[in-house]
Amino acid sequence: MELLTKNKLLTAVLAVLAVAGIAAYVFQLAGGLAVTGMSNGVSWGLYITMFMFFVGLSAGGLIVASSASVFHITRFKAVAMPAIILSTVCICLAGMFILIDLGGIQRIWRLFTGPNPTSPLIWDVCVITLYLVINVLYLVNMRRGNDRAVSIISRFALPCAILVHSVTAWIFGLQMAKEGWYSAIMAPIFVASAMDSGLALLLCVLAALKKARIFDTSRELMASLAGLLATCIAVDAFFIFCEVLTMAYPGAAGAETLALMTSGPTAPFFWFEIIGGLAIPFLVLVFAKNRERTGLVVGASVLVIAGVLCKRLWLLLTSFIVPNVEGAPGVLSDGGWALLGAYAPTLPEVLIVVGMPCLGALAFMVLGSKLLVPATEAEKVRIRGARRAALDGGFDPQTA
Amino acid sequence: MTKLGIAIDLERCVGCHTCANACKMQNNVPTGMLWNRVTTEGCDVIDGAVGTYPNLTRTFLPVACQHCENPACQRVCPTGATYKDEMGRVEIDYDKCIGCRMCMAACPYNARSFNWEEPVRDVDFNYGDAEVPVRPRGVAEKCTLCRERTDRGEEPMCVVCCPTHARIFGDLEDPASEVSKAVIEHKAHVLLEEQGTRPQVYYFD
Repeated sequence: MELLTKNKLLTAVLAVLAVAGIAAYVFQLAGGLAVTGMSNGVSWGLYITMFMFFVGLSAGGLIVASSASVFHITRFKAVAMPAIILSTVCICLAGMFILIDLGGIQRIWRLFTGPNPTSPLIWDVCVITLYLVINVLYLVNMRRGNDRAVSIISRFALPCAILVHSVTAWIFGLQMAKEGWYSAIMAPIFVASAMDSGLALLLCVLAALKKARIFDTSRELMASLAGLLATCIAVDAFFIFCEVLTMAYPGAAGAETLALMTSGPTAPFFWFEIIGGLAIPFLVLVFAKNRERTGLVVGASVLVIAGVLCKRLWLLLTSFIVPNVEGAPGVLSDGGWALLGAYAPTLPEVLIVVGMPCLGALAFMVLGSKLLVPATEAEKVRIRGARRAALDGGFDPQTA
Repeated sequence: MTKLGIAIDLERCVGCHTCANACKMQNNVPTGMLWNRVTTEGCDVIDGAVGTYPNLTRTFLPVACQHCENPACQRVCPTGATYKDEMGRVEIDYDKCIGCRMCMAACPYNARSFNWEEPVRDVDFNYGDAEVPVRPRGVAEKCTLCRERTDRGEEPMCVVCCPTHARIFGDLEDPASEVSKAVIEHKAHVLLEEQGTRPQVYYFD
């Protein structure tokens, strides 16, 4: 609990916000989703945005850690532990936001008794569960110093990390009804933006851990990760450009949606993503000299994370603005005859959206205090015992 | 197999909203919600018009669930709560709905309404057909093609109540049915054909 006791003020603030978030969720359970700003016109809001966001943030950690084993990038192994802890916490948060968004959570067991195999949500339930299991196995084996198991798990972890983002993208990308979502490039975009936001979060956390003298990351490794971040930003920007060009070029329905993105109600988020989330951080990180300076790397990382959050917002919400059938029955609102979808989050919604990540930060601090210190002999000895038993059986995992 | 559907004669529709109200009464639809609605194209008020006086036009378009042959909502429903039944209707099993609202994102017609709160009714009792199930908070609902009535061999309430006989109900699989004949004779069209949902609600002028 070193991280918690050392940063008493931070811990207290996080705890208060987390408790407020939980209280807001209890309030929502009592009042139903009516306490949120969502309506029949805009039927998904901040919760689904945060779900996408945290699935993405979870990626960076697992991809960095597992590529250390898969592609033999030994220098990345040094940060595998904080990376996987981060990844585990983020995927739990993503799952929590899905649960928070459900209107009938008391009937959730229906997911297991009668799953519909054509639903992307069912794919997501399966893949996220698998992903979480892999993360936990990774943590346990890394802690025990079982390198062979870690290298086997990482071979599954990498494709699974890519799959979890693709499936999340398909929840949106396969919906023909929403012009702004229906695109084959949605999955690659999600993987790319997951990589850049996840890496950026990892860099911020590593810098914070270094400052707190809990876990030291060498300057060279930070610079190297920042270089990888710059590459990921470029790939993300390229995919977004492909998507935007394809929407704009025929000058048809796609161009109308694009016009909404660039000059409609979600335009501030779009432009922040393009300028603040992609252009500026890339221009900072593209120079090797800047990558050496922790302050600049952290600044660029924060921008990338904020940019990707904005991107989730414009991606989700823009497609809810204009219904395909003007004044359709579902779009009836309090005011009567709504032609456009409107959405503004309410206080309980905001408290939940702020509180849950605070809870996640606390969970990270607890796990970090326990796992970022060298493993004790007691934790390692079991593996040695297991190895000896394996040797006795005539099987040596090191040579087999 | 039966494929129940409706054809709506837009030439006959006078925009009286009787179908919307009949539907609401029959199906115990709560306050702030409609399963069936007469939209006035281009207007955000009831019975508005577009254009500048004296060159005004007004087009009514009654819209409800289109009971698609290829329903996007059914495809995405994680628990199978939304299903296509043996009569060709798209129905919801409210006991299975977990309120994820994936169907609302997938429906191109925005035909679905969600019970965001405990359903409120202007009168403090349930009204309509006694056989219609009461929906709890946290489930999606929409036009059932008056499942309870059509199961009994009756026509949907919107069809029965339409004062101008603008609605024709029947089996689209049966070429001799009134509805099939109307669809062919009037070269009826569907809404958002490009979405490939193959609606079983047709419109003609």
